[in-house]
Amino acid sequence: MDIAAPRPAEALGSAAIPTKISVRNLDFYYRGYHALKNVNLDVPEKHVTAIIGPSGCGKSTLLRIFNRIYSMYSGLEATGEVMLDGRNVLDPAYPLNQLRSRVGMVFQKAVPFPLSIFENVAYGLRHHQRLPRLQLEERVEQALREAALWDEVKDKLHSSGLSLSGGQQQRLCIARAVALRPQVLLLDEPTSALDPIATGRIEQLLADLQSDYTIVIVTHNMQQAARVSAYTAYMFLGEMIEFGSTSELFTRPQRRQTEDYITGRFG
Amino acid sequence: MSARVRPPGYRRRRGVDLLAKTLGVLATVFGLFWLVWILYVTFRTGIGALAWRTFTEATPPPGMEGGGLANALFGSLVMSALGIAIGAPIGIAAGTYLSEFAERRPVWRETIRFVNDILLSAPSIVLGLFVYTIAVRPTGHFSGWAGGIALALIVLPVVVRTTDETLRLVPGMMREAALSLGVPRWKVTTQILYRAAAPGILTGVLLGLARISGETAPLLFTALNNQYWASGLNSPTASVPVVIFQFAMSPYDSWHSLAWAGAFIVTLFVLVLSVGARAYLLRNRIDSAA
Repeated sequence: MDIAAPRPAEALGSAAIPTKISVRNLDFYYRGYHALKNVNLDVPEKHVTAIIGPSGCGKSTLLRIFNRIYSMYSGLEATGEVMLDGRNVLDPAYPLNQLRSRVGMVFQKAVPFPLSIFENVAYGLRHHQRLPRLQLEERVEQALREAALWDEVKDKLHSSGLSLSGGQQQRLCIARAVALRPQVLLLDEPTSALDPIATGRIEQLLADLQSDYTIVIVTHNMQQAARVSAYTAYMFLGEMIEFGSTSELFTRPQRRQTEDYITGRFG
Repeated sequence: MSARVRPPGYRRRRGVDLLAKTLGVLATVFGLFWLVWILYVTFRTGIGALAWRTFTEATPPPGMEGGGLANALFGSLVMSALGIAIGAPIGIAAGTYLSEFAERRPVWRETIRFVNDILLSAPSIVLGLFVYTIAVRPTGHFSGWAGGIALALIVLPVVVRTTDETLRLVPGMMREAALSLGVPRWKVTTQILYRAAAPGILTGVLLGLARISGETAPLLFTALNNQYWASGLNSPTASVPVVIFQFAMSPYDSWHSLAWAGAFIVTLFVLVLSVGARAYLLRNRIDSAA
């Protein structure tokens, strides 16, 4: 077998944690540029998996393949397999909007829709399910509670989502994503625009959410990866260098490149 | 000590700075001078010519005293509304296509943008002649419909461009965030992006309206003019700009004064509309930092 491709058995040891997303021989091309090179990865279910690596290593690109959001732009192509519960999401026959209702995403910058706080959270729900008003309100409240935002906004649900602070806006985006009850939550550097206190709240939130969701977080902050994740993947120049439990990877990295990066020598 | 130390060339740079500032201010004053003068003369003469009957009576026959602009005001209103009603929806749809749905065909998209810019700067009299050949000649008569169509052709490129540009100002991440909820693109566009871009699109429509409400040339060959109340959109229709054009060249003083009154009304309308539209846009500008 290819030693360069970390395999779940090695990475996860003997603990039988089911795999939620299984990436096999994934290549990604950006207008001819080979951005991801034969990436293999098994994302364990209901844990936080962090993807770290220097800028341009392809960690965001990998994340954006999981819900096929890259496909809104032309000239981008992914080959290989990304199995979600045994079905390849790269298969054009995989219904895109269904995929995205199963795999939610939170972005680097909080982008509330120009709608009220309530409607921001209800927006996706309204599209996927026809719920009676009362049930819709319940789901919105539940999502806001899950995102630890309910207490701060319960009295102003109908004011604009843009009126919230940066940290609150990001939690609103998390509420918006979890309102659909996805199975997977993708976070692309969700705290890079936030202050330490707001960052701390989001990290606490991830710890709370991992009992219900499979979470994949991309971060350029190694301390954050160490704090929030159970598993960490290290990528460099479009390749998956190492994947393992976070404690293993940060204390006993198997590969020289990983060690150089996490000790700050890098290169 | 430090306050008196000047870097080398300081005096020269100050001199150049002063010169540039002076030239800039002079250029601004030169431009504004004519605008203020035009507004002053129009307002002073126009207000004096205004009377209640300006709004209640139709344009007078030659040589008669009195009369008003009621039929022309009404004609302008109807044809401008028609122009907006035809031009704005098509323009918004085309602008949306350019910004949101043409990404996979960049050459095609840029070609449309280029052609639209040509239409934007096309002399309005050419548009009038064009509509004359497609709407007046075949039917055999001038009509309010033809006038409205000609005005729509002026509104169209303005709205296409502003819609296209405002939608492109909406952060790409908002599209990604909405699409990542599994909502199809057309719903994201109409429910989220339009809402974010609404102030800009509305401003485009208002600026289009401001532009057509003073247009004379496209109406000369299409709606023509009508001394009386038009019997419907199928008949020649009076409009304020054409009446101004006709009356200002007449030998009668009372017609001159009606032309001034019309000029005042149109100028005030356009001024309020474009200042208002821009103020509205400034207040509701898309917050790109959001």
